[in-house]
Amino acid sequence: MSSDASALHPIERAILKALSQGEQASIEALAGASGLSADQARRGVEWLKFKGLIAVSESSTFAVSLDAEGRGAAQFGLPERRLVRAVKEGRDTMAKVLASGALKGDEVNAAVAGARRNQWIQFGQGGTISALQAPQSPEELALVRLAKGSADESQLSEQEKAGLALLKKRPGYITSSEQKKTQISITEAGRAILPAIESEKPQERRLSPELITSGKWKNVEFSALDVEAPAPAVYPGRRHPLVDIIEEVKEIFVGLGFSEIDGPMVQSGFWNFDALFTPQDHPAREMQDTFYISGQSQPVPASKDQIAKVSAVHRAGWGGWDTKEAQRIVLRTHTTPVTLQHLAAQKPGSARFFSVGRVFRNEKVSYKHLVEFHQVEGVATTPKASLRDLMGLQKEFYARMGIKKVKFWPTFFPYTEPSLQSMVYNDRLQKWVELFGMGIFRPEVTKPLGIKNPVLAWGGGLERIAMLRFNLDDVRDIYGNRLSWLRSVPRCQS
Amino acid sequence: MPVVNVSLDRLKKMVPGVKIDRALEMLPFVGLDIEGTDGNIVRVEYNPNRPDFSSDYGIARALSGLLGKKTGAPKFKASGKSGISVRVDKKVKGVRPFVAALVARNGRLDDESIKQIIAMQEDLHNGPGRRRKKASIGIHNLDAIKGPIKYTLVSGGHSFVPLGEKGEMTVKQVLEETQTGREYGHLLGNKYPAIIDGKGTTLSLPPIINGEATKVDAKCRNLFVEVTATDRKAADDVLAVLAMTLADAGFEIRSVSIVDGKKRDTPDMKPVKMSVDAGYVNEILGLELSPAQIVGCLKKCRLDAKAAKDSVTCTIPRYRTDIFSPVDLAEEVAIGYGLYNIEPTFPSSPVAGQRSEMSARFDAARDTMAGLGMIEAFNFSLSSRQVQYELAGRAPEGEILAVDGSKSAEHDILRDALVPSLLQSLARNVHEEYPQRLFEIGKVFRKTDRIEESWHIAAAIAHGEADYTEIKSALQALASAFGMQVTTKASQDQLFIKGRCAAVMKGDRQVGTIGEITPLAIDSFKLRVPVAAFEVDLQALLL
Repeated sequence: MSSDASALHPIERAILKALSQGEQASIEALAGASGLSADQARRGVEWLKFKGLIAVSESSTFAVSLDAEGRGAAQFGLPERRLVRAVKEGRDTMAKVLASGALKGDEVNAAVAGARRNQWIQFGQGGTISALQAPQSPEELALVRLAKGSADESQLSEQEKAGLALLKKRPGYITSSEQKKTQISITEAGRAILPAIESEKPQERRLSPELITSGKWKNVEFSALDVEAPAPAVYPGRRHPLVDIIEEVKEIFVGLGFSEIDGPMVQSGFWNFDALFTPQDHPAREMQDTFYISGQSQPVPASKDQIAKVSAVHRAGWGGWDTKEAQRIVLRTHTTPVTLQHLAAQKPGSARFFSVGRVFRNEKVSYKHLVEFHQVEGVATTPKASLRDLMGLQKEFYARMGIKKVKFWPTFFPYTEPSLQSMVYNDRLQKWVELFGMGIFRPEVTKPLGIKNPVLAWGGGLERIAMLRFNLDDVRDIYGNRLSWLRSVPRCQS
Repeated sequence: MPVVNVSLDRLKKMVPGVKIDRALEMLPFVGLDIEGTDGNIVRVEYNPNRPDFSSDYGIARALSGLLGKKTGAPKFKASGKSGISVRVDKKVKGVRPFVAALVARNGRLDDESIKQIIAMQEDLHNGPGRRRKKASIGIHNLDAIKGPIKYTLVSGGHSFVPLGEKGEMTVKQVLEETQTGREYGHLLGNKYPAIIDGKGTTLSLPPIINGEATKVDAKCRNLFVEVTATDRKAADDVLAVLAMTLADAGFEIRSVSIVDGKKRDTPDMKPVKMSVDAGYVNEILGLELSPAQIVGCLKKCRLDAKAAKDSVTCTIPRYRTDIFSPVDLAEEVAIGYGLYNIEPTFPSSPVAGQRSEMSARFDAARDTMAGLGMIEAFNFSLSSRQVQYELAGRAPEGEILAVDGSKSAEHDILRDALVPSLLQSLARNVHEEYPQRLFEIGKVFRKTDRIEESWHIAAAIAHGEADYTEIKSALQALASAFGMQVTTKASQDQLFIKGRCAAVMKGDRQVGTIGEITPLAIDSFKLRVPVAAFEVDLQALLL
């Protein structure tokens, strides 16, 4: 909150000046006095109130005015007045009074009660009525006052108030309505700032092109802005948060000497499974787990020699092999078929490759399962590659992702031996989480394809890392494309 | 992965002198994941290549080894012939040709042991048995059986009392009316294999159900176990695991003669001998172990081994069907050595790494789009007919590429365009602040003579004033960021308003489409503002 005079908006200055005499003013009065529109005055009052430079008091008053009966009484007199008037004119019984038309039948009770209370009349024998002195009653006083127009109840005299109280008891005489009133006055702080406002030179709100080119800027001062006030939200364009993680992973791979490869998402059963020594009757190959393209198959996209050698390994190891299974078209369940075809084509002596790509599983989509997710995979091959090297590569990879506590457990994959799974400690969850799987390609995988050196491979889903990084409990959020999330998730997070 | 419920009380008895904390700590290093605990019960997940882990007996066996309580191959003593034979009828040849069997005598099964064996039987059915297709098991009360036993075919009208039923049912009724009949009946054609004893009692109708007459309960002391299979090795593999487990449970295992033309005795428990060079093992693991040390490691994995000068000869019990290549022994050595004892070494890179040219360019495209104020969306390649065609108001251009048996109805076809997915994303954000500008880079798929997949980029802008001009400006900016020029040629497309749609051309080649989305599609997706979009083949544009 700033009470620096130079940071005030012109509207605020105008209001403060209008209040400088110290009187209370309504919004409308302020607008008139300061030359602002009512709306500008209203906004300015809000700002100044927030800054403590003015005080706003809200009071409510009751305005009273005459209703239909009351207006009649103001014109023709209250029933008791008409009664006493008629008596004075000589109509000394109620019958005569009624006959004269001075009172209606239903006014008799009120007229008699009022006249007796005021001691204007007295009754004699045989119902005769005689008139006494009849000075103006408090009710009449109030009536006269309100006949001139509605009045603020608090501003009536004591007698008028007493009369009003009595009139209110008569049905149809008085209506009252609550009226709210805003009164604005300058505070001590506002008064303290006034001299500064009044001594100011004229200021410019904006540095306009005209001020610049004309050179007028040399003689101009600029009004200070409230630089502490909040500004409207804008949303930058940005990459998807998962791409940030993919980029980070790719950078780490390149830094470790790995080169990026990519390949088709649609694969043959041969490369996705057979070449990876996954038996043709393995449960993972069933439709319950793997997506096959309906009604499509294609000749196995491999050389005769590759097909012959891969099928021979299956016959020896698993007791059978059928070309039909190899020809089925599958949405890759991992990126390894791409890696393997690359290795089979290049047969490198020493090499390091990586890929990041989408893979598919026939899952019921839930908070922890997607039909499609990103897999990251790295492979390294040298003539002397060993399990220790694989563990070392994996540990270094994790270290560069900021993951320091890692342990390895044995596990099983059809195409690697030995096979390990890595567990990493997550500080936020305070527990060990399973992350990447890894192993050395089996000879049954490498030999038929003519790959001579041991191949170290590791990989796993990226979404799990993203969930830990972005603190998500539901993996579907990553693909929900909700702008509330995309616009708010930080680019950098530890 | 399959799960075994391990009772800690039983584990303490089966692994002598073990401390529970230590046992739990070591389980993962045998290759067993602790999925959860429930009081005294630990749920242990095992990998399906180790069917011997399908009961707590097998888990205790491995744990005793790694903890050094019992090492080397577990004792298995065949107690001779049972005198029982199974005659295999030629008629089963084309149906389910193989059977293997054993007799287990003088044992005791308490309720917990029975539970373990039943759960194990189920796991073996699902794993090596391939959901009973390849192999299935029948465990019977031997004392209710009279030899000789035959394995033959029966007719659909053949009747017996199936396990758990009160009265006789015909085979047809079993297939139609029992739960297992309905679940596994498809594995049989119109030929029904059955195992029947000398009195004509039906022991089992493989692979569907056993008979009630030979039901096993806690009073049984003597068991007859049969495995029928479509593959002889599968029958022997499964029976070997059962034999070892029942031996651990305290039974004497006796052989059964299978008469199938020639005679053979089962279970086949003959161990496999395999030699491996110490150098090979050390190369794979990156260690420098002597043959004697390797022997020590293998023994901790419950294998027998002998060291020679530079090699080791290993004797692998028959039930360890997962070991069939020297590399499998290398893994056993690593497990026996203890993975926690292996110090990782970081090999420095022999080569320099690099990004692929394509992915680097895609990133530049992302930067350009983000610079235009667009937010990147990620949608699935697997979409639905509803999003791709019905809501978008467009017809498929060629054959739709669908996947079989998707468990998620909203993900059952490969998308052929990105814009419908972006419209769906916009539809999810109608309550968010406008303007909204989204882009996506993703693969699209179509069938020609083969299945083609290509990388596309699409952008969609949605706000009160969104129009053709704004989206075309964005397209131009994207193209010129790569030094490319594209032109737009008036065209028609069901997704776009007629007269406000163009083909995106690079030279003479169409590389994409651009325009204002039809109010029909906007309305179908329940959007309330105009949308303009483009979609371009990214590789064709950039390369």
